Amino acid sequence: MSKTGVEAGRWAKLRPTNMISAAVAFVVLVVAFTLPFFVDVDKSYLGYFIFITCIYLTVAQGWNLVAGYTGQISLGQNAFFGLGAYTMAELWLHGIGLWFFFDVTLMIAAGIAPAILAIIVGIPLLSRLKGDYFSFGTLGLGMIIKVLFVKGGTVTGGANGVYLDSTRFTSMHVYYWCALFLAVFATFLVYALTRSRIGLALKAIREDDISAASHGINVLKYKVFAFAVAAFLAGVAGSIFGYYQFHITPDSVFSMNWLFYPILVVVLGGTGTVIGPIIGAFIVSGLFAYGDIYFGGYHPVVSGMLIILVMRFMPDGIMGIVSKTSGRLLGRAKHAVPSGM
Amino acid sequence: MNVLLQVLINGILFGSMYGVAAIGLSLIFGTMRIIFLAQGTIMVLFAYLTYFLFTLAGVDPYLSILIGIPIAFGCGLGVFYVLFKEAAALEDKNVSLLLAVGLMYMVDNLMLNIWGATPRYAATSYSSFTLRIGEINISFQRLMALVIALAAASIVYWFLKNTRLGTAVRAASEDMVSTTLLGISSNWVMAIAFGLGLALAGTAGVVMASVYSFDPNYGFPFALKALVALTLGGIGNVWGALAAGVLLGVVENLATYYIGAGWADAISYAAFILVLIFLPYGLFGRRGVVKKV
Amino acid sequence: MENNLLEVRDLSVSYGDVQALWDVSLEVREAQIVALVGSNGAGKSTLLKTISGLLHPRHGQIIFAGEDLGGLSPKHRVDRGVVQVPEGRRLFQNLTVLENLKLGAYLPRARAKYAESLERVFTLFPILKERANNKAGLLSGGEQQMLAIARAVMAQPRLVMIDEASLGLSPIFTKIIFDLIVALNQQGTTVLLVEQNVHMALKICHYAYVLKTGHVVMSGPGEQLAADEELRKAYVGERAVRAVRGKVE
Repeated sequence: MSKTGVEAGRWAKLRPTNMISAAVAFVVLVVAFTLPFFVDVDKSYLGYFIFITCIYLTVAQGWNLVAGYTGQISLGQNAFFGLGAYTMAELWLHGIGLWFFFDVTLMIAAGIAPAILAIIVGIPLLSRLKGDYFSFGTLGLGMIIKVLFVKGGTVTGGANGVYLDSTRFTSMHVYYWCALFLAVFATFLVYALTRSRIGLALKAIREDDISAASHGINVLKYKVFAFAVAAFLAGVAGSIFGYYQFHITPDSVFSMNWLFYPILVVVLGGTGTVIGPIIGAFIVSGLFAYGDIYFGGYHPVVSGMLIILVMRFMPDGIMGIVSKTSGRLLGRAKHAVPSGM
Repeated sequence: MNVLLQVLINGILFGSMYGVAAIGLSLIFGTMRIIFLAQGTIMVLFAYLTYFLFTLAGVDPYLSILIGIPIAFGCGLGVFYVLFKEAAALEDKNVSLLLAVGLMYMVDNLMLNIWGATPRYAATSYSSFTLRIGEINISFQRLMALVIALAAASIVYWFLKNTRLGTAVRAASEDMVSTTLLGISSNWVMAIAFGLGLALAGTAGVVMASVYSFDPNYGFPFALKALVALTLGGIGNVWGALAAGVLLGVVENLATYYIGAGWADAISYAAFILVLIFLPYGLFGRRGVVKKV
Repeated sequence: MENNLLEVRDLSVSYGDVQALWDVSLEVREAQIVALVGSNGAGKSTLLKTISGLLHPRHGQIIFAGEDLGGLSPKHRVDRGVVQVPEGRRLFQNLTVLENLKLGAYLPRARAKYAESLERVFTLFPILKERANNKAGLLSGGEQQMLAIARAVMAQPRLVMIDEASLGLSPIFTKIIFDLIVALNQQGTTVLLVEQNVHMALKICHYAYVLKTGHVVMSGPGEQLAADEELRKAYVGERAVRAVRGKVE
């Protein structure tokens, strides 16, 4: 989790590679979007697999933006995810919205509510807390939000949560496409942001935020912005998940899993890269798909072990290894690593 | 009035456990600049160890301390050298943070799968022993918990102040580069701190087993509370961490009694965030200690 | 290479992709004071860090008392007598003066001579004896610099490398510190002095190297370099040199 992002950025500017990756991306997207036409997504597991992968990927890209590009580790993404689910549910139940089920306005609202929270909470947290302290702050935030919803009584349905009209479920198609669209949107959003002036500022902040500030970058503004974007993405993802579950409870949507799995996705793939989380999402999803079968209840143990192994042996993730290997292939000089102290 | 006193005392006695775990966190954070979120999980692990030693081998929990602490210390050294050594040298502290998270996740779920979620409790023959002072009941075991906490804090304090290695740990907490330039092995100092940190978690766990019931889900919330205590107490302050733990225990107990269990947690976390924001050195933190960012 | 306590040969060091030192070579003879001067960013601290073992060079060698230090950990280098007084002193602020000194004599070889070293240090820096139980952070700038040097002396060094001894010190204290460095040297300790304060450094050293953006651009005996026009111009500035010349010469 170091300067891989910057390197990958520089590396990607090579013309032929750029063209190839664009072509590959295009083909992949076409296949992905048209898949339901030649595979029965309702019957096969593939539909659900891609659906859930895309949900993870969306939350992951948001976390990636905050952690990989500004260097702040947020441990509260599950709060935004759950908030998104509840926002959608409450609006539906109170008759606010257009057509409720996969209602665009509801989904956007589900993203905006957490984003607003992120701004309100983010300003004090990000201005006062650095590094680890910020992480704890977000951790505490996540905990508080969960408790508030559990204790919410009639407003939030308490521990039993809220129920949505499950008769609206017709087929996996809408889930598949919406999740896919959201994941692609999230990826492109992060990609576009990082290529923009905003991205440059974010990277500067990640490398040395004091120096960035001295160059006139409003560090707080950018950090809060990234934090809010991540919250937005998590919230929308949460709402889609809510549409799938139809029964939203604090345990299901505020679960720590929604915190750790996206982190694992990003870290495995390579923090601070755009493609990394995509790879990570598929691997993690695959692990759970088979984990349930082969490891049963032990699969969280496996994910924990995976996080450990990745952080211990390849802290730069898969993309980090790819970058290093291609660097050697392209004849880049070996780095003199400062010895640990 | 007596109820209030009772609640207060119970809070003090329980809070001392937060304090012990917090001292451990302080040692680890001081030298390695990482928050070892798995501290609560380790505590629960050693609670299980104590429980099984008791139920399967009849070993009295207080005797288990003598077994548990060296094992915990050894585990700490091992875990450091195997997992954290490289990560500690990196600039990016997030790697270490995630390592701790992964460890916590793995061990928590391992315990959950192997031992299930049923609460355990090492009910010894003297478990229900209580002392009566006036109208107040003080559980003997809980009192012992406080005594052990005080003993642990004293030992750590003595170690830090009066031994060469302890002074090196204090120095490393301030400036690792400078310490290395004096020829002191940074890895060794960090390993020692890590070992002590886990030993303290183990101590809390051993005590916990016979005083309060526990289950694998207990670990993470406990680690958070210990973290709150650490932040309140100021990093690098052994007695501060203990005192803050006690304070937290009291506040929590009062909140649970007067408001309700779920809210107590929220209040602790809220207090945590407020302290983080407004009192970066904690309540008892030292001036002049550079808060590493 | 008679009497060369320290020899640096063709040392190149990089921070990631950025190269900081290019084929740097220098020699430090035993019992000498050698100065390494250069402006900010010239690579002086990088060189010291590499000699101390905090950084690995891309290529090149560091030979100390005939032994190649390559691959040795910082701990082993200190054990062999290569001790650094880092830039900014880096004292343990919350520890007392005495505790700081004790930590200097941490390794067994130094610890065996603890009493002796302490005696030596208190003679060289009497103020430290007075302040023995004060927290290091409460000392004045000059006293802190003394403590930093004293702490290094406690390690029974053969070579003391001092990084920016005069940083943040008043002219009076700068003179005191430099006098102390000379005294230390006269007791037999070899000194490698890294300094931005070219004037003072050249005055007290036997030999000097000038480092500029990672390259050694000049070297020679202290007085020779002190009189050198080029050097003066580079560090004092053309106008100032002309001004001085106009007034004095």
